[in-house]
Amino acid sequence: MERLSANMKAAFAHPARRRLWLTAGSGMLIAAGLIARYGFGMIGLWSGLMVAAALLAGSDIAVRAWRALKVRHLSIELLVTIAAAGALVIGEYWEAAAVTFLFMLGAWLEMRTMGQTRGALKELLDAAPVTATVLREGEPIEIPAHTVQLGETVLVKAGQRIPVDGEVTEGTAAVSEAAITGEPMPAEKAPGSRVHAGTIAENGLLRIRATNVGADTTLARIIQRVEEAQEEKAPSQRMIERFAQWYTPAIIGLAVVAFAFTQDIRLALTLLVVGCPGALVISTPVSIVAGIGRAARSGILIKGGQHLESAGRIDTIALDKTGTLTEGKPRLASVIALDGTEDKLLRLAATAEAGSDHPLGRPIVEAGRKQGPLPTPETLDEHAGMGISARIDGREVAAGNRRLMEKLGIPLGADGEAGLKRLLSAGQTPILVAVDGRLIGLLGMSDMAREGAAEAIARLREIGIRRVVMLTGDQHGAAEAIAREVGIDEVHAGLMPEDKLALIREMKAGGAHVAMVGDGINDAPALAAADTSIAMGAAGSDVAIETADIALLQDDLGKIPEAMAISRATLGNMRQNLVIALLTVAGLLAGVFSGHVHMAGGMLVHQLSVLIVIANGMRLLRVPARYRPGTSRTGRAAAGSATVAARS
Amino acid sequence: MTQKTILRSDELSCPSCVPKIEKALRGLPGVEKAEVRFNTGRIEVEHDPAQSDVEALVQAIRGTGYEARPSAF
Repeated sequence: MERLSANMKAAFAHPARRRLWLTAGSGMLIAAGLIARYGFGMIGLWSGLMVAAALLAGSDIAVRAWRALKVRHLSIELLVTIAAAGALVIGEYWEAAAVTFLFMLGAWLEMRTMGQTRGALKELLDAAPVTATVLREGEPIEIPAHTVQLGETVLVKAGQRIPVDGEVTEGTAAVSEAAITGEPMPAEKAPGSRVHAGTIAENGLLRIRATNVGADTTLARIIQRVEEAQEEKAPSQRMIERFAQWYTPAIIGLAVVAFAFTQDIRLALTLLVVGCPGALVISTPVSIVAGIGRAARSGILIKGGQHLESAGRIDTIALDKTGTLTEGKPRLASVIALDGTEDKLLRLAATAEAGSDHPLGRPIVEAGRKQGPLPTPETLDEHAGMGISARIDGREVAAGNRRLMEKLGIPLGADGEAGLKRLLSAGQTPILVAVDGRLIGLLGMSDMAREGAAEAIARLREIGIRRVVMLTGDQHGAAEAIAREVGIDEVHAGLMPEDKLALIREMKAGGAHVAMVGDGINDAPALAAADTSIAMGAAGSDVAIETADIALLQDDLGKIPEAMAISRATLGNMRQNLVIALLTVAGLLAGVFSGHVHMAGGMLVHQLSVLIVIANGMRLLRVPARYRPGTSRTGRAAAGSATVAARS
Repeated sequence: MTQKTILRSDELSCPSCVPKIEKALRGLPGVEKAEVRFNTGRIEVEHDPAQSDVEALVQAIRGTGYEARPSAF
């Protein structure tokens, strides 16, 4: 038998495959033994087959125990080996066979299921391209993807994975970015478009200038972030690991003491069998790996167990308006000239705005350029949260909101007030333009609410977010128009960055758990102060990936309720696993001391508890994008708060 | 010259295997640092390839009962 096992080892160098064969062989011997005994009453053959089964499965366990011992490590395998050997010595052949077989079978099943739990990350790793076709001296050659030089031209044919981050220089294609953003619809790419490594060109032929390769690509950075997040230990996990360090030696000590007092060798050996707190040490990691993996599959990066825990508790969400609730691409909707022509008004405003990169300025600059090239201002001053002032051809031009005019001491006059009112009532953001201290006109800017914004807000309330607040630097009329459209009833407008920060602090002081959603740059202080910071469109911005607690790779507000739902489900899952694990440990110890649990039974319960914990964690991989709280506690809380929101 | 090698294994099923693999790797000549991350199955080794090459690392991990492959990142 041992020679057979040695032969099999030579034949199956792959450890997992070898163990599967050993387990199957041992299982068949046990089955044959049971038939021999209960079918034909052959006790002698039964014993022989059981010893063979124990040796077959046990040989691998013993070898691993010995290797671990050589590097001075007390392994679980050692405990099982001692227990099984002890059982053989005292003639408990069935116990020895069952313990070794169940240990092997359980370990194999656990390996398979843990592998699936890690599966979401594997999808990302598999998206990493291996080779790239580059043009060198006009000739296409194939090289490993991470050896592409920056600035080199990469060729991508239909159906191929794009191997680098870069900019399209020639050709058009529909590119599926699902691997990175989770977005199933392919995006059209043309010269000038940015493309990411790991995305797939579904048709066409692209020439791409490489800007980031290998470990510098967005995909590599996402993988790294997801892994760091999965490895970051939640406080509960750290506590369990400390406990586990003491648990195994304590059980060995307990076994020795129990034997010394009771002289009951079976009790002592059974204690060794249940000496690994398997379900307990795996309870938290399995939930976190599955939860973060599930989120990553939808293009949601949750930065670790700790952030999962705080996101799971969020009851208040504050959202920035421009670029978050809206597309952030304002267009010029009205021009009101009070003094002079509309063209002159536009041209002066555009010249001043050309020096700033505020998103509101861009459409004005575009409109101004249509009339010809713009002069360069002699001086330029940006007034944060107010606007801009510049000296153009010796004249002082100011463009900004009402506060800027007040700061510069420029009166609005009756015409100015009327124009302002007209723009605000139309839900537009007014920009007042003044020359040499006199108001010459107003520009009205309007921005569109993002597609799906109203639905996302409704879903946030559905999953139990009590309070949804808009925080914006924009003025009341424009803010309220968007708020009405998306279904937000609490609006704080005209805020400076520090006002947003103060409001977040105030909400937290009132006992709320606050999440802040923003673009990561203007809202940096408020984002930092919130319990959970959420940044959107992170695939295009490294800053957002690096700094936010939760980074959404797509500009999709619908991912916010999804991230919240996954966080909550993960938090609940972790608690369930802890309860299962603790009950198992307590139950096993009680069972062993009361004499109800013997070696085989102890191993069976122990392995089952580990598998149950893993299977429970794997449920997280199937949290639907549209999570319905149903009859859970959060569900009832949601129903209650919806009525509160309706009344307020 | 030490280099950093990243290996991945799908087979880690119980955190108790972490110290076992780490100790086996550190027992090899020329290995300065070995870290096993249970949650992701990622194994980071700083080693001198002249004394213990990547294949030796894979063999050492295999000796503890797990299959691992080298990975680019």
